[in-house]
Amino acid sequence: MHFWQQSLPLLITCVFGLALVLQYYVPHPASENFLQEISLWSQIIAGFAIVLGVGSLLSAHYQKIARQEAGWGYSAVLFVSLLTVFGAGLWAEGKAEGTFFGWLYDYVLVALQGTMFSLLAFFVASAAYRAFRARTLEATILLSAAVLVMAGRVPLGESLLPGIGALADWIMTVPNTAAQRGILIGVSLGAIATSIKIIFGIERAYLGRGDGA
Amino acid sequence: MREFAVRLLQLDRRFIFVLMSVVTVLPLLYPLGLPVRISPETRQLYDTLERLPERSVVLLSLDFDPASKPELYPMTVSLLRHAFARNLRVVALTLWPAGTSMAESAVTHGAEEAGKRDGTDYVFLGYGPGEANAIINIGQSLTNAFPTDYAGRKTEALPVLEGVRSLRDIDYALSLSAGFPGLDTWYVYGKEKYGFELGGGCTAVSAPKFYPLLQTGQITGLLGGLRGAAEYETLLNQAGKATAGMDAQSATHFLIIGLIIVCNVCYLLSGRKE
Repeated sequence: MHFWQQSLPLLITCVFGLALVLQYYVPHPASENFLQEISLWSQIIAGFAIVLGVGSLLSAHYQKIARQEAGWGYSAVLFVSLLTVFGAGLWAEGKAEGTFFGWLYDYVLVALQGTMFSLLAFFVASAAYRAFRARTLEATILLSAAVLVMAGRVPLGESLLPGIGALADWIMTVPNTAAQRGILIGVSLGAIATSIKIIFGIERAYLGRGDGA
Repeated sequence: MREFAVRLLQLDRRFIFVLMSVVTVLPLLYPLGLPVRISPETRQLYDTLERLPERSVVLLSLDFDPASKPELYPMTVSLLRHAFARNLRVVALTLWPAGTSMAESAVTHGAEEAGKRDGTDYVFLGYGPGEANAIINIGQSLTNAFPTDYAGRKTEALPVLEGVRSLRDIDYALSLSAGFPGLDTWYVYGKEKYGFELGGGCTAVSAPKFYPLLQTGQITGLLGGLRGAAEYETLLNQAGKATAGMDAQSATHFLIIGLIIVCNVCYLLSGRKE
């Protein structure tokens, strides 16, 4: 079992990881064909991963309903919603125009997602009132920058305070860009380090526990 | 005074929610119509589209779902209007499965409004599964990645895709993104390897992370949130939903600024007590 659950996945990861790194630097048609083949396979695997994910989701929520765990009603809602949308999608052959599937999309999904995102404005306002305090010098600088950008990025601010728009632009293009670039370089180096660790089998968390669980 | 400040610091959050609702709704009912200043990054995107010769190919990747519709849909409408008015060929797709229906509707309505023909002037390819892999796939061969379009027609035979074999044949790609996969994915897996011009739009909250790419010219133009969409509407001289929403955004920004000032004054008066 160790070979199938540990050694083989590690070998596949190492071989394909190294091959794809080398592929990037080799513009030969064979190398390009290899990339195309791999990306097609990745899309196919991603398709099966969706099936696996949905299966796992349904299984987890089915257990909750069967055991009547706390909040099992939400699991039931998920079950009904998923099956209804899935059934409607199959019935409509994936077409939205003039179908029940399209109606569900326009009048349920759009409204629900829009509502969830809109709640952000209320929580941001509440959080700003409770947490955005000038406790330290760093917090004061952050707070001042936030206030200037918020005022400078809307027409009312630019009408009331001439020049604040240019100041907000400067904050975005100079200090913000400098900080973002630092973050970007840090994240990229971290991604490279993690990739190397995965390719050479040092990082194995993606394999799970290896006991089939 | 100190007691009052402490009490104010413990303000019921429902009061803030009501205030937020009022300052959002009032400007929508009674618009101020304040002018919108055009930022350099929006101007850059507009100018790039203006410079493209007629029948150039613009790829529009609508990488968002209904959650970001208020910010990104107005951008989509404006960009389609501009591209169709300039007589450019539009190749649209989405990398977000939940955005497919919305993207198709936006492209179809935009084309109908401009009197453009499906398959000749524009095409909606549908959802490209696989996130970054979808981009690599289109980069290698568009017809392999999308053998058929959303309507089920063979892409090889579509006049709008004449001479377009892969991302290398795209004149300008635009990603309107609400997260991953989005504009940065198109940059890392698409532009870097296949060498096309790339620009895009994003939600206001994710705009700051694209400024390093803008400054170095790695992306050409950026529409940041509702403000970016309103700026584009102003450039096109076609005020729409984004321009209408700017007054509400002005009011809510100033409410938050006011709340921050009040809470900090109270914090100082209370002797910096939590």
